[in-house]
Amino acid sequence: MRRYETDAGVFEVPDFPVIQTKKGQVKLPVMCPILVPRHLVVANNYNPNHVPDNNMQLLLESIVSNGFTFAVVTVYDEERRCFVIVDGFHRNTIFGERWLDADIIPIIVLEQTMAERMAATVQFNRARGVHQVELMAELVRALVEQGLTDEEISTRLGMEPEEVFRLKQITGIAELFKNQIYSRSWEMVEVDEHV
Amino acid sequence: MLKQVYVNKSVLEAARERIAYIFDEFENIIVSISGGKDSTVLAHLALKEANRRGRRIGLFFLDEEVVYESTIEQVDYLMNLYPQNTIKLWLQIEFNLTNATSLTEPYLRCWEAGKHKIWMRPKRKDAIHHPSWDRESEVILNKDIGLDFYAVLKNFQLTRHNTAFLVGLRATESPNRWRAVSKNPGYKDIFWSTAMENGNVSFYPLYDWNFHDIWKYIYDEKLRYSKIYDYMYKKGLGLSEIRVSSLIHEKSFKALVELPEFEPKTYDRLLRRVKGISVGNLYGKESKMLQVSKLPKNFKSWRHYRDFLLETYPDQTKKEIFVRRFEKHLDNEYVARQQCRQLVLNDYENNLPVDNKPDPRIERLKYWQEVL
Repeated sequence: MRRYETDAGVFEVPDFPVIQTKKGQVKLPVMCPILVPRHLVVANNYNPNHVPDNNMQLLLESIVSNGFTFAVVTVYDEERRCFVIVDGFHRNTIFGERWLDADIIPIIVLEQTMAERMAATVQFNRARGVHQVELMAELVRALVEQGLTDEEISTRLGMEPEEVFRLKQITGIAELFKNQIYSRSWEMVEVDEHV
Repeated sequence: MLKQVYVNKSVLEAARERIAYIFDEFENIIVSISGGKDSTVLAHLALKEANRRGRRIGLFFLDEEVVYESTIEQVDYLMNLYPQNTIKLWLQIEFNLTNATSLTEPYLRCWEAGKHKIWMRPKRKDAIHHPSWDRESEVILNKDIGLDFYAVLKNFQLTRHNTAFLVGLRATESPNRWRAVSKNPGYKDIFWSTAMENGNVSFYPLYDWNFHDIWKYIYDEKLRYSKIYDYMYKKGLGLSEIRVSSLIHEKSFKALVELPEFEPKTYDRLLRRVKGISVGNLYGKESKMLQVSKLPKNFKSWRHYRDFLLETYPDQTKKEIFVRRFEKHLDNEYVARQQCRQLVLNDYENNLPVDNKPDPRIERLKYWQEVL
């Protein structure tokens, strides 16, 4: 049993049940969603996924007709005493003022470190959606600063090593040509064909 | 016969001399800029010369409205590099753009009056908002589309006299265009120029620059450049695929696929502005839909598919353009596939012309039948 203290009271999450698989035990957080006031659920500041407006409309229609089938996945932030979204930013947005304007929302609370949390967000997003390149580069840099190797980054984020390398090059393309020398100039000259 | 001869100078020295020559010969100079890398280098070289001589030159940008935000930022940067030497000629006027992304909206009128609420961005205070020429005697180059990009350029140029227009054309990047413009000298014995009306002349001072020369100059001079180039590089995409201009042109489909990732806000605005954009985004890289390299399953032949596309074409007047054009073509599968591509891309302007010749596969077959 885990206990999370917030300004809207204490929320309890039972231990996640597990199942046996050929990769060992797998936890089932999906079995333990909780309902919390929506103001306790906040966006992370590193999610580089962006959904265009027309797709938001689709998401809204899907929720209205099928119901809310996936809880928003979060981790608890002790300092801010709230739940930070790992997956489901747009589902959470749909519950917000502009669209459904709901008071409460079902969430799942994971327990992870900061680096794991970032990686989790990207893993969740890779399967669908797209990432803005610049934010992705920021994310890779943040992970490098936390001491992860290129290899660790590439396995955790599900990227090719080459992509990690490219994203690490924050200098830009002009830098690549700095050691070149200028080409020789040429002109168009009228010449005698018989020479 | 004209021959290419190397001289003992770097392209940079040569370009500086060419620009100095234009300043000696012409009182009025206008540099055409697009926000791309080549015109960035050209504008910088010209502005430095203007600054050295204490003169003012025009920077001309024809704003197509539906462009990358990064392009706008780049143009803004160039226009404000040497304010005391710059005459801003940033045109934000109504004209028609081909819209390859939609069949029901075959062209888009950029900066259309009354649609200001859905414009990609508001007009700028420092831009020119109305044509400076007489609308009655305006030149129209293509009757089907009306006032288009090239017609605006033409009408603008006609408002000027004895003016040098500097263009960032490079021979290695556009060999065909280079051959066409360099055939005859446009001014005195200068082969890197073309003559226009009213004593105006276009000059191409960067004609011999290579790709790496452009980037080296940008690096050496610590110039800003459009972010799109870095995005593309980080994505591992070919740098030659990048166009900084209109996002809804036949040739920019690939860019549309990447747009939500590069500039999500631009993409959102584009969705609101133009019908058909999400088709371009979803299918830009799918061969069947818009590149038309695979015949859809339910059609027996390209001719069959073409007839179907023609029959179901939503716009009657545009349909006639296609019918008239196709009547002049050969009737074979090779040609029919290209006709399908024109129909799917809504290319009634013939920007991607059909290569009208006998089917090469059939020809090869015939050849071998004769040989054997």
